[in-house]
Amino acid sequence: MEKLFLPGTRSTPEISFDGTSGVLTISGESYPENSFEYYKPILAWVSRFAQTHTGPATLNINLNYLNTGSIKSLMDILDYFEEMHGRGGDVVIYWHYDDENDRALETAEDFKAEVTFPFNIIAIKSEAK
Amino acid sequence: MKTMDLFDMRETLKTEGILICFAGPFSHGIIEELGNAVRRYLETMQMKKALLMDVFSVFIEQTQNVRNYAQKKLTEGNTEYDFNCGIVIIGRKGNKYVVSSGNIVEKKDLEEAIARLAELNRLDKDGLKAAYREQMRKVIPSGKTTSGLGFIDMSRKASEPLQYSIREINETYCFFTLRAVI
Repeated sequence: MEKLFLPGTRSTPEISFDGTSGVLTISGESYPENSFEYYKPILAWVSRFAQTHTGPATLNINLNYLNTGSIKSLMDILDYFEEMHGRGGDVVIYWHYDDENDRALETAEDFKAEVTFPFNIIAIKSEAK
Repeated sequence: MKTMDLFDMRETLKTEGILICFAGPFSHGIIEELGNAVRRYLETMQMKKALLMDVFSVFIEQTQNVRNYAQKKLTEGNTEYDFNCGIVIIGRKGNKYVVSSGNIVEKKDLEEAIARLAELNRLDKDGLKAAYREQMRKVIPSGKTTSGLGFIDMSRKASEPLQYSIREINETYCFFTLRAVI
């Protein structure tokens, strides 16, 4: 499967999805002007990935901030991973958050509660950022 | 305008503890620029990261709400007012922060929002969390451009119930002000 790469901007995250290795990484900020429009092609990619990918799949989340529109779209991405997991796929998520921002930990926990596959929440030291 | 200088306005902002104020069209570029400025400014205030991000986040939700509403009116072909023109302020109240925004709204559009706010204001933190998770799972009807999470998210980040005020402009329109204390 082809790669998907979108450079990050001030309000949109960097998207780096590798269909061959199965490693999908989302980093930066996410408060696009129109979240649903922004995530539409990304979700289309993940949907195809979920249907065709056979090896292990990893989702890395390194987001500083996401608005409520993005939360909904991210939930959809996680649902595709849940689907793969349901079919016996080897999937895992690594959710990184700033250790000084306990609110970001809460967001990670909100998502973790919604899925059943391995969900690792990792604190990143603020100064290392 | 009564006087040419902005002294009176400055005095009002000062006595109200307003740190940042913007009035004008809420373009996405402006929201990004202001958001960035807000973040940099709050960083100089030696506040906790979580509080800083809560203030920033409520600021983004409120300004994007105004912008989304303006887009909706534009789609409906309503050009009676410049709906994209709004006001947003960030102020300080003791050791708390206030984020407030105001815009022109058609009265009929307000009913749903007001009912929602009343419902959310009755919930405690756990209730808000449950409402949030429920909404996260709701299927968005096609054509909708908003997640329905905005008010719940703001309520979760606020330390007091969300407040609002409505000032009538005419039979059809009013000016709606939303205020979150964080």
